[in-house]
Amino acid sequence: MEAVRGFFERNGVLLGIYLLMGVGFWIFVLILLPQLAMLDLSFRHNLPPGLVGGDQDVYTLDNYRHFLVGNPGNPDRLSIFGWQTDVPINVIDMSVFVRTIIAAFMVTLFDLLLCYPLAYYLGQSKIGGFGRVFILLLIIPYWVNEILRAFAFRIVFGDSGVINVALMAIGVVDQPVDFIRADIALYAGLGYAYILLMIFPIYNAIESLDRNQIEAARDLGSPWWRIHWRVVIPFAKPGIVSGCTMVFMLSAGALAAPQILGGPSSLWFTQIIYQWFNTGQNWARGSAYAVVLLVACIVIVLALMRLFKVKMGEIGK
Amino acid sequence: MSRILPKTLLGLYLLIFFGYLLSPLVIMGITAFNSSAFPRAAPWQCFTFEWFDVLAGDTRITDSIVNSFIVGGFTVVISVALGLAGALVLTQIWPRLRASYYTVVIAPILIPGVVLGISTLVFWGRINTLMGLPDDGFLRNGIFLTVLGQSTFIAAYCMLVFIARLQRFDSGLTEAALDLGATHTQAFRKILLPFLKPAFGSAAVIAFLASFENYNTTTFTFGTYPTLTIELAQKVRYGINPSISALAVIIVGLTVLGALLNEAYKRRAALKGNLKVKDVASTPKLPSFLARNPASLALIVLALGFVGTVVYAQQYSPAQCKAHVQEQKRLEAEERRQEMLQQLEERRRKAAEAAGEQQPASTAPADSENPNTGAFGDVFNPGNLDATEEAPAEPESNANPNTGAFGGVFNPGNLSGEEGETAEPEAAPAPGGFGDVFEPQNLESGESEQQ
Repeated sequence: MEAVRGFFERNGVLLGIYLLMGVGFWIFVLILLPQLAMLDLSFRHNLPPGLVGGDQDVYTLDNYRHFLVGNPGNPDRLSIFGWQTDVPINVIDMSVFVRTIIAAFMVTLFDLLLCYPLAYYLGQSKIGGFGRVFILLLIIPYWVNEILRAFAFRIVFGDSGVINVALMAIGVVDQPVDFIRADIALYAGLGYAYILLMIFPIYNAIESLDRNQIEAARDLGSPWWRIHWRVVIPFAKPGIVSGCTMVFMLSAGALAAPQILGGPSSLWFTQIIYQWFNTGQNWARGSAYAVVLLVACIVIVLALMRLFKVKMGEIGK
Repeated sequence: MSRILPKTLLGLYLLIFFGYLLSPLVIMGITAFNSSAFPRAAPWQCFTFEWFDVLAGDTRITDSIVNSFIVGGFTVVISVALGLAGALVLTQIWPRLRASYYTVVIAPILIPGVVLGISTLVFWGRINTLMGLPDDGFLRNGIFLTVLGQSTFIAAYCMLVFIARLQRFDSGLTEAALDLGATHTQAFRKILLPFLKPAFGSAAVIAFLASFENYNTTTFTFGTYPTLTIELAQKVRYGINPSISALAVIIVGLTVLGALLNEAYKRRAALKGNLKVKDVASTPKLPSFLARNPASLALIVLALGFVGTVVYAQQYSPAQCKAHVQEQKRLEAEERRQEMLQQLEERRRKAAEAAGEQQPASTAPADSENPNTGAFGDVFNPGNLDATEEAPAEPESNANPNTGAFGGVFNPGNLSGEEGETAEPEAAPAPGGFGDVFEPQNLESGESEQQ
């Protein structure tokens, strides 16, 4: 009570009401309650509208069971390193899920390797005319529509795309390489989409690093790679983890790029969710799959933060 | 030596990096001006502006742009208001609660967009049912759902912008105002709001851009009001044509324009601060704001280039070039046809010789002559090829040469006339046998009409 009165005393009544209403609406109506509604729906049967709220509308684990073991009578069995078990498994959905997570990891790693040198270069050199131009060039592709970026990659990597035309012109290959089927176009497009989200946190972290530390390490005879390993990277760790977290979450949750650039035989986990909602018309199961994706992402990110000893407050800076 | 190598490596790295970053956009831009019906930069056919006309005539695109602006406007208002509240509360909340609070409000940035879209859709559907509203009620409206779904995470972007600005705020100013007798509302309006003014601008711009390009959340919530991004995704997924590249050219152009304007404005503001007489005197020819401001210079060049292009586009007509390309294709097809005929002739002669050795009395060679030409004759008719090139609107026309090619070959009459002639089945899949049917362009252009 004391705190509430203090709050209104500090802000005045009008502003105080605005702050409380605004934050309350955002946190409860926009963030928490919708997530809870989705969680609730994921534990229900897929019923026609007339039966919702009736006798059959009871809680069930069916949707999660389907994700793990598939439909009843599913002939596929789990095998661990060739050792066959008796446990049924939903091979299609599980393999797509695992593949999505692994691919998102690879995209994150690729972006980190690609962006770290530039972030270091920009962060340590004084930002003059060149630096400003670089930053401008970095921002422009980011504000181009997600769909159009994927579209650009489809043009570049297509059968009659520039890369194939060039490869055939120099005679490396005589048939067009199917980059789309091999998912190369997808990984390139995903990595491309999140470059900026990787580069800026790292750049911000490195920018505040005192150059004297690097000089000191050099004077003491440290080779360049050890300077990075022992001085720059530990200092930039929050920025690196922040960038990696965002890139990982966004690529695991990407939908547009896999829809446009994905090969015909390979799916992204978000596409399966999308199918349950649209063509499948099974919102309950789609919700369950969305919960699986959300929980997996949160667990992985929290584990990484624990591993690298970075706090949540350092994300998004 | 030890100095040159790192420099070269750095240059190479920068080249690769920015090549990866910019070349897809440049290539996409080029395809907007190529007359080929499938967006490609090579082989180059004709320089054309027709895809911009196609784009302007596409009502689905123009309608969706209106939807995007409506959604964007509402989202900006809600997100900026919520983001500001979120940032102000963060500065006042108990230290013990701060970490949890920050985690909750920053989470929407990290939560996959599809999850936000689904949860919004499910939640408001549930509310709708609870309140007993009709199925097409206000709470199920696409624009309403999209605005709320997008605001969930865009408000967090805005909050980050405000937090960054608030960190530089000296709270002593507010205290001074209060000491001098201002009310809380007055202090907020006269001290804090003016200080936050630049942040309002950037938060609004970021919110609008984020809303405009959002796909993952909107794809679940848009209902009957597709935004531009949704409409684009539909087009790209079910067949592509260069009018999308034309749209990309416009969007990239606007982005570059906005970035340059911003840069020029910043430079000018910076120059105003430390402009000295000496600097002005040393550049007598150019106005000083140009000489010191490459961004404005680039802006002017861009504007001139744009005006020039528009004027040029009014007069330019690629008709002649297109006719030329058409003619070229016809000639090529003709050449291929001749080649095929020769090959067939040769095979037939060989087969006939072989057959002749086995069955001296057979009249196969004479009979086989005619059905063969008949079988392929239709395919090689230049008119056929032209039809497939010219009329991408009719997928059936693609199929026709196909049936023609096979239909003739598998005609029983053919076979009976060619006993023992093994060459014939091989002839069908030979290169060029199907003309341009398998050219990706044909398939794609047919595909683009299926949506």
